[in-house]
Amino acid sequence: MVPLEPDRARDASGGSGTEPTGSDATGPTQRIEYLDEVMAEIDAEVRRRRASGDLPPGLERELDELFLEFSPVGLQGRARLRETLALVDGSAYVDVAVPTESNKMVGSYVKRLIRKAMGWYIGFIVHQIVKFAWAVSRMFHVVVDHVEVLEAAVDAQRTPELPDSAVPPVETGSAWWSGDAVAALTGVRGRVLHAECGDGSLLDALIDAGVDAYGVDPAEAVIEPAIERGRDVRAETLLGHLEVVADEALSGMVLSGSVQWLHPNQRERLVALVGSRLAVGGVLVIHSASPESWLAGASPVVSDLAPGRPLHPETWGHLLAGAGFGTATVTRGGDDRRLDRVAPSNPDAPAINAAIDAVNTLLLGSGAYLLVAVRER
Amino acid sequence: MTAVHQFVPALLPRDATGRHTLELRDTLRRHGWESDIYVEAAHDELQDEATYFECYPERARPGDILLYQLSTASPVADFLLTRPETLVLDYHNITPASFYEGWEDHTGEKVALARRQAAALAPTATLGIADSSFNAAELRRLGCPATTVVPILVDVGDGPAPVDTAESTRLAGRHGPGTVLLFVGRLSPNKAQHRLVEALWLYRRWFDPDARLHLVGPSVTPSYVAAVLALAEELGLSDAVRHVEGLTDAELAAWYDDADVFVCLSEHEGFCIPLLEAMRAGLPIVAGGSGAVPETLDGAGIVLDPARPATVAVAVDRVRRDGRLAARMADAGQRRLEAFTPARTRRRFIEALAEVVEGQGGVR
Repeated sequence: MVPLEPDRARDASGGSGTEPTGSDATGPTQRIEYLDEVMAEIDAEVRRRRASGDLPPGLERELDELFLEFSPVGLQGRARLRETLALVDGSAYVDVAVPTESNKMVGSYVKRLIRKAMGWYIGFIVHQIVKFAWAVSRMFHVVVDHVEVLEAAVDAQRTPELPDSAVPPVETGSAWWSGDAVAALTGVRGRVLHAECGDGSLLDALIDAGVDAYGVDPAEAVIEPAIERGRDVRAETLLGHLEVVADEALSGMVLSGSVQWLHPNQRERLVALVGSRLAVGGVLVIHSASPESWLAGASPVVSDLAPGRPLHPETWGHLLAGAGFGTATVTRGGDDRRLDRVAPSNPDAPAINAAIDAVNTLLLGSGAYLLVAVRER
Repeated sequence: MTAVHQFVPALLPRDATGRHTLELRDTLRRHGWESDIYVEAAHDELQDEATYFECYPERARPGDILLYQLSTASPVADFLLTRPETLVLDYHNITPASFYEGWEDHTGEKVALARRQAAALAPTATLGIADSSFNAAELRRLGCPATTVVPILVDVGDGPAPVDTAESTRLAGRHGPGTVLLFVGRLSPNKAQHRLVEALWLYRRWFDPDARLHLVGPSVTPSYVAAVLALAEELGLSDAVRHVEGLTDAELAAWYDDADVFVCLSEHEGFCIPLLEAMRAGLPIVAGGSGAVPETLDGAGIVLDPARPATVAVAVDRVRRDGRLAARMADAGQRRLEAFTPARTRRRFIEALAEVVEGQGGVR
């Protein structure tokens, strides 16, 4: 075996043969210094244009969608079935009239001659190709018809939506976890999304801390104060918004509100979207009620009709690890619902306190938690 | 006598891997080692430079070291798996198959096969040489037990490249005073030229309505090329986006010379030689932070991550408005090029391979 150190390329300071490509004794510090300044100016200018309306929300997304219209069938699963089917139909026609234009007069004549002479041959081949293409297209039409029937059937089995009126209003800025959320995102460069942002009070705190934050919330009435304050807030659902955001377009996310009671299928979709829309190095913050406090803490309508239940932070950590996130840090807070122990002077204190400890451990505890994780890959 | 023979799927002229292979062969010979090139296919111009790979066994000698230029799928990889000689991989990156899904599925299948071959070869190699840390990390993930980083052996030259003056005149006559954005690279989904079109649209809308985008590179994925040009047409940029391919070195130099900013928004790059060419041409560079791009630039350009069209448009304007910044970026580019001088790279190749020679027992 050759006596080479494993993974020695990681050792940028190594000896012969290990020199990294990026070695320059004179430049880096100076370069980084001025480039950082320029980058900050670029960042500020983009924000200014966004705030002034020069860069309307969704413009870049519209550009991406426009490009998708020219993309091949089924690309990234975003193309709609009927539209892609129309593309297939359009491509199934083969024109036998080969262009005969030419820069030279004789060239055009020769091309026309060849076309005329070969017409019977080309026509025969094309006829069979078109026949095949239409058969394939017909098959796709049948498949799409079936898919639409299936979608309608699935839709009929959908659980009723939780009425907005049943969901208590969110005032995230004054919540116990807002300070920790702001601290986790301070210094993040690039856009940070807060869903569901409610009245936008956490957005205010994030923006005050220099974060380029915007929000989404499906409840239009709730976000009005934030819009009036000039905040970039959109009346959209979290999943609906993330579906149209470009990959790695976000540098941070705060997920609060209904994220904790998403249907398991939606939650799975959410984890996949968060893992792709957040850039590598991006920070994810999740606020959720603890499972132990769920029934007692949520309103009866919410706890009865919510499609899902809050997860333990360990479960979020497990799901996020599969989506490329590193170890999550968890801060517990909110209402401490633990029962007080009785005084030792009570003759039955040992038995009662043992029972209280068991109840506290199994059923009670802090009412909520804040989880912070960074996308590593 | 020490022998380090190279194996490469295809030996082509005017191709980075082809030039690298020939240059490395000459370097090894100058060092006093035997070195021949074995190929699956060679261009007519280079038929005399290479031997068909299946001829190697009859020429094999104990102690030979086989160096495989790994960048695409080839029966050469399967052949090397059967050989007992010490193997060194020279990895130039394989584009992930996902980039071709829907665009060109057969190419996707080919690169997926290349990755499977790389995964089979990597654990058997004594050393993996990669032209960037990004590629070295991929090699390690594929199971290569030891890696080292040595840039690709391509001489981008000192000072401005010789320019085809006729091409320069033609280019100057075709457009007005608007900013010219340039990208050089094959038109392929992983190079994300459609993002350049989007950025151009915003840049014209906000800063310079006469700005143009020049795309230079072969149309390796025709459906993608058609989509990029259709997007340009839909955005009213048909006259502002121009694509050319098949340029000579001097013509390419004229296109660099004609440009104001080099913009690279590739979503996957293993090294990106055009960045070095842009540095040589003294162009300021605005790039996305994907793959090995930040490493190749190493501060000699603006790296945007993520590189959304609006951010790119603003960055290009920032460079255009500030002559001092553009000049400093050009200086930084010249300094950065010093890390890629052929003499330095040749020495590092010899050092890396000398360690293999010293340590090898001749067979795997």
